[in-house]
Amino acid sequence: MIVENDGTSVLLRRVPVRGEVMAEICTQLAPFRTSDTQVIRGETAISKDLAIDSLAVMDMVMELEDRFDVSIPMNVVAEIQTVDELADTILKLAARR
Amino acid sequence: MTPLPTANPTLALRRAAFRSVPEMLDYAARGDTGVTFYSARGEPLSALPWREIRERAHVVARKLIGAGFAMGDRLLITADTWVGFFDAFFGAQYAGLLPVPVSIPVGIGGKEAYLEQLRRQFAASGAVAAVGLDELAGFLADAAKEFPAVRLQGGMGAIESLPEKPVDLRPLGADDTCYIQFSSGSTRQPHGVQITQAALMANLQGITGPGGLDVVEGDRATSWLPLYHDMGLIGFLFSPLSAQLSIDYLTPRDFARRPMQWLNLISKNRGTISYSPSFGYDLAVRRGAMQVPADLDLSSWRHAGIGGDMVRADVLDRFAQTFESKGFRPSAFIPSYGMAEVCLAITFCPGGSGMRTDTVDRTALAEAQRAEPAANPSDSHRARRFVVCGGVLPGHRLEVRDEGRVLGDRAVGRIFVKGPSIMPGYFQEPEASREVLSDGWLDTGDLGYTLNGEIVVTGRAKDLIIVNGRNVWPQDIEWAIEAQKVVKSGDAAAFSIDTADGERVVVAVLARVAGDEAKAALARDVAGAVREAVAVDCDVVLVPPTMGLPTTSSGKLSRSRTKANYLAGRYAPKPAAA
Repeated sequence: MIVENDGTSVLLRRVPVRGEVMAEICTQLAPFRTSDTQVIRGETAISKDLAIDSLAVMDMVMELEDRFDVSIPMNVVAEIQTVDELADTILKLAARR
Repeated sequence: MTPLPTANPTLALRRAAFRSVPEMLDYAARGDTGVTFYSARGEPLSALPWREIRERAHVVARKLIGAGFAMGDRLLITADTWVGFFDAFFGAQYAGLLPVPVSIPVGIGGKEAYLEQLRRQFAASGAVAAVGLDELAGFLADAAKEFPAVRLQGGMGAIESLPEKPVDLRPLGADDTCYIQFSSGSTRQPHGVQITQAALMANLQGITGPGGLDVVEGDRATSWLPLYHDMGLIGFLFSPLSAQLSIDYLTPRDFARRPMQWLNLISKNRGTISYSPSFGYDLAVRRGAMQVPADLDLSSWRHAGIGGDMVRADVLDRFAQTFESKGFRPSAFIPSYGMAEVCLAITFCPGGSGMRTDTVDRTALAEAQRAEPAANPSDSHRARRFVVCGGVLPGHRLEVRDEGRVLGDRAVGRIFVKGPSIMPGYFQEPEASREVLSDGWLDTGDLGYTLNGEIVVTGRAKDLIIVNGRNVWPQDIEWAIEAQKVVKSGDAAAFSIDTADGERVVVAVLARVAGDEAKAALARDVAGAVREAVAVDCDVVLVPPTMGLPTTSSGKLSRSRTKANYLAGRYAPKPAAA
């Protein structure tokens, strides 16, 4: 379960299930919902549908990396468009570690 | 791993008295100082004395020469903060090749925009080789497809796998170009500033000399600045190298993740010189304040430089208040001013004087272009506070002009500079060069006024937008909207406004649709296109087509007048109070 607290984030060492990853992403993205995108779904395009700028995107990716103990290569990040794709990437990397 | 020493025990400190980058590195390599890369957790990842950097560069150079690359060939390098950048950059210097440092991709969904930027940089530089981080090798290959002249690309392995041949080195010399600096930003019209060895050496002399940071024995540099910006590359690689200093590096990403590591590194290694745009100081206060270690000690930091965007007095005040109890000396602040066209720096505040501001009357400023001292400086509605950015470097000149006439103190005009640091021009772009260079004077495009021999910058290059330290060209935003066929060409104007939270991007578009729903959809599509293309959140204001967008006398879109109209409330909805 949650095994370590390094002072800045709570690290999840076991392989997460999809629901957890989706829930965390939605929590992270909640402040950036717009009047047109009030509910964040799997197909939500992160930088297109939400009011989130590059610094906040970087922040979120880092938070997720810390939380799930993965490192998403920058070329992979650059190809991600939707919430589903982000969740799948994290799950794939977590399973491999 | 112990950090590299701050001072060289036997090698005398020689301050930028060199003719070229290879000469500079040859000398520094005789000492024990060098660069150390740190992780996001503040652990040293690797340390390379200048000596080792030079040896590695020689190997790379022999491989590049052996592979048949010619003098003056351009080598594109993704300028992340990692040892590969040092190998490729300095290797090119000893092989007679010109490095072309480029940025790394920004965030989620940034692939297409990044590829487009790479393609334009390939085209503008005519690069024949490109290397980068392994994870970006695929993007380099993709972008290079359209350029048959590119005959080597990939991760650093692409160079490493070349045979090392017993060839003579071909170090770039005093009369050569050094590298091509893309003025950080425009992806559509990238201007590669031609940085010559001579101009670079002149600027380094200014930066490290008495009119600049006055580097002394015992100085140590700390940096998280990206190496694809002039402030990172010249300010925090070449400047310390030119005075044989040690440098401690964090990557820009790790700084953004844990800003406190920047200050921790300074504290632990007793750093004395470190720079940031205002937004970095802001980030350190906003994000770092919760994680300040009890033993943080910033008393060694003698030059806390600010540059790269408009210096924000309120941000620096907050930083000083937050960290004064940790030994930070507000007198260490050194506001400064510069641009890639002068290599990096053109003015510095005198060391030890801290941030000085000038508070002027807003009405006189807006209506008469005069910076008159405000009657009541604390009334922020009527008074505007600017940071004084210091005097011009020795051997250089600075003038503020209006229509060719040199203005006196407190009259706002365009800033022109002249001197040995000025670029010969944009690389292979005579027309763009002629637009900004005349008689040895560079038109900076920035606005400001002089005050007792110092410059006060009141606005940047007229249209450039800087968001969180990133330069965004308004035409990139407009083209992105047009490219998505959201509106037609000329129907959108992008600009930024100053708000209490920093700069805010506004896009004015002609609303050629009827009905509230269609208008809302248009605004949404515009905002979406902007976010996707440049990763910036913006406000969209719809302008009735009958009103149109203002144009200049030559028929070009006038962003400044669009902005003036917007601020005057001529477009609905009215802007929120800034």
